Amino acid sequence: MHSILAVDDSASMRQMVAFTLKGAGYNVIEAADGAEALEKAKGARVDLVLTDQNMPRMDGISLVRNLRGLPHYNGTPILILTTESSDEMKAKGKAAGATGWLVKPFDPNRLLDVIKKVIR
Amino acid sequence: MDSSFDGTAAAGSRGAALEAAQECAAIAADLERLKALITDAGDRLLASFNQVGEVAPRLAGAAAAQAQLSSAVTTAVTALQFQDMATQLTQHAQVRLNALERCLSALGTDFDDPLLQATRMQPVRQTQMSAGSIDLF
Repeated sequence: MHSILAVDDSASMRQMVAFTLKGAGYNVIEAADGAEALEKAKGARVDLVLTDQNMPRMDGISLVRNLRGLPHYNGTPILILTTESSDEMKAKGKAAGATGWLVKPFDPNRLLDVIKKVIR
Repeated sequence: MDSSFDGTAAAGSRGAALEAAQECAAIAADLERLKALITDAGDRLLASFNQVGEVAPRLAGAAAAQAQLSSAVTTAVTALQFQDMATQLTQHAQVRLNALERCLSALGTDFDDPLLQATRMQPVRQTQMSAGSIDLF
């Protein structure tokens, strides 16, 4: 079973993401911000990271940069799921090493299609 | 123009700016109440959603009914993300209003408030709850 690290400071968003991913058979690890996600990523190998951008303590793009600096995560798909839709922010995400940029709200079926496409 | 007129006009401008600052504070307080209402409504909807999610798989039914239920749940998952977006939007509006209130309180002497400038970029531009775009790099 693939493990996905779902990162969002909104409990309701984490709940919707976890509901969608668990329903499709994924194991879901949750984190409330980038800093917590980084700690959890170091402690458990995950197959994909799905992260929000705007969060306290550590934002999504900083999380991507930090994860890409870890040997185990240089090839792991990292998707940013955010309300931010500007080209400027997308370019920053791409430059940090994100695999893709998804604008909220997400459609469960489309999210699962994208995950299937990028997960190893 | 005589100096007494200048003084009256300046005092009038200051009074108007202070009044506008008070209005900003009142609107920020309204937004706080709106945020609380959204949070409460969102939490209640999520609790109901979870109850439906627990019961639904145990219900026997025709394939068509199951497909209809699955489609309704999918739509609900997208719509229930409103709480996160609405909360972010109200928080952003509050931050900008607070910065505007400070500027007005300063009677126009510091309208280049750095916080007001920093918060001009809008984090939520969506106007409806249909699913957002996807870019794979």
